[in-house]
Amino acid sequence: MTQTPETILNVNDNEAARYATTRILHRAGFKVLEAGTGGEALQIAREDLPPLVIVDINLPDISGVEVCRRIKTDPSTASTMVLQMSATNIAVTDRVNSLAAGADSFLVEPVEPEELEAVSRALLRLHRSEAALRRTLAERDLLLKEVNHRVKNSLQLVLSMLSLQGHGFKDAETRALFTKAISRVTAIAAIHERLYQDQDPLTVEMHTYLTGLCAELVRASGLEDNAQATLQIEVEEMRLPTEHGVAVALVVNELVMNALKHAQPASGAAVITVRLVRHGAGQVRLTVSDNGAAPESASEVAGLGTQLIKMLARQLNGTVGIERAAGTYAVHVTFPLQSAVSWRPPY
Amino acid sequence: MAATVLIVEDQMLIAWHLSDLIEGAGHRVLAIARDPAEAMEAAAKQRPDFALMDIRLHGGTSGVEAARMLFECWGVRSIYLSANLDAATRAQTEPLQPLGYVGKPFLPAEVLAAVERAVMKTVPGEKSGGN
Repeated sequence: MTQTPETILNVNDNEAARYATTRILHRAGFKVLEAGTGGEALQIAREDLPPLVIVDINLPDISGVEVCRRIKTDPSTASTMVLQMSATNIAVTDRVNSLAAGADSFLVEPVEPEELEAVSRALLRLHRSEAALRRTLAERDLLLKEVNHRVKNSLQLVLSMLSLQGHGFKDAETRALFTKAISRVTAIAAIHERLYQDQDPLTVEMHTYLTGLCAELVRASGLEDNAQATLQIEVEEMRLPTEHGVAVALVVNELVMNALKHAQPASGAAVITVRLVRHGAGQVRLTVSDNGAAPESASEVAGLGTQLIKMLARQLNGTVGIERAAGTYAVHVTFPLQSAVSWRPPY
Repeated sequence: MAATVLIVEDQMLIAWHLSDLIEGAGHRVLAIARDPAEAMEAAAKQRPDFALMDIRLHGGTSGVEAARMLFECWGVRSIYLSANLDAATRAQTEPLQPLGYVGKPFLPAEVLAAVERAVMKTVPGEKSGGN
């Protein structure tokens, strides 16, 4: 089996000692680079990226321990293996220091050629398997990114398709039904734009999510051109587990669509308020209220919307409440704030 | 005031949807281009006020490249649209004086808000909030 020999950087200011080490490594079949100072060593480590650096602890400019620390903290050389070497009379604390600075192993001179060769081979083996792991991880990251891109793009196609199809209906009732469907799908799809690029892909920040959705509800309803109604949003900054986030967004979607339909106060402008706040111990309350007349009968709020709200509240382990007072009508859903299993990057 | 917009998006369904939204808001879509070459061709014929640019285009070409050519040849700036707006992408577009970023799947309200902001910045006589 012919392979290009692996490269080792040999750092020692003592020429005789450096020569001896280089000879051992040459005989073992390695390619050897040499440096006599710490500065030189760091430069070669960055430019030639040898997988292993053998560095003597005493150097004329900066100490071997410092060379090691800098190699390990510079992202471009952090994967380099470092074998620290020193003379017999070194204090234990120095050995500890060099390992603490990131050295992968430590040898005390004089060293038997067999031992130097064996330790070098062991460190190079470690370097190879770490490199393979890093490659696998990078490939997996790329794949995940690609899959996320596909998911988001496909959802966009679904939304664009629905939206284009929506123009085809002449009948107002059919068009309204279709608009509702688009709105529901939008609430589900919109969460994907807010996941992944975040520091924590298993939860969603509700403030930006609901603010965006409400802006879209206003646009789709034509409310922005209507000075007679406004939508107020009071959402505390909070992160919910993704599946809870979607459920809350869908409830908001239903309630706001309802309110937009029949929030018509006797006089003045209609004000619809969406509020998501912490409520008592470990609870969250979503309230959608308006200053219009409450729906007169159950039949007005019957249909898929009401069913959806009930089912989603159940999914949140929450309860639905309705408050009617003079000039206001509010629906709220109260549910336990589940502490999500927070995701941490593995490195 | 009405602006003229060039849409650069290789997925025709999404381009059509965007075109619908922009025209619905009273602006004019000059053309739909699928890659940098088509974008340059369209802009050479008629200069848009700005472009709505998808980052990943037809045949593995890059929207950032198209945006750079539009910007360097004619000073046409872009709103960027992508399913993957990471920090690296944003950094690449920074020298091209971006007019905004919209993630996919987009909310039509977000696209229109970005378009209105772009109109303010690029259409002469539309500097301050004239509604």
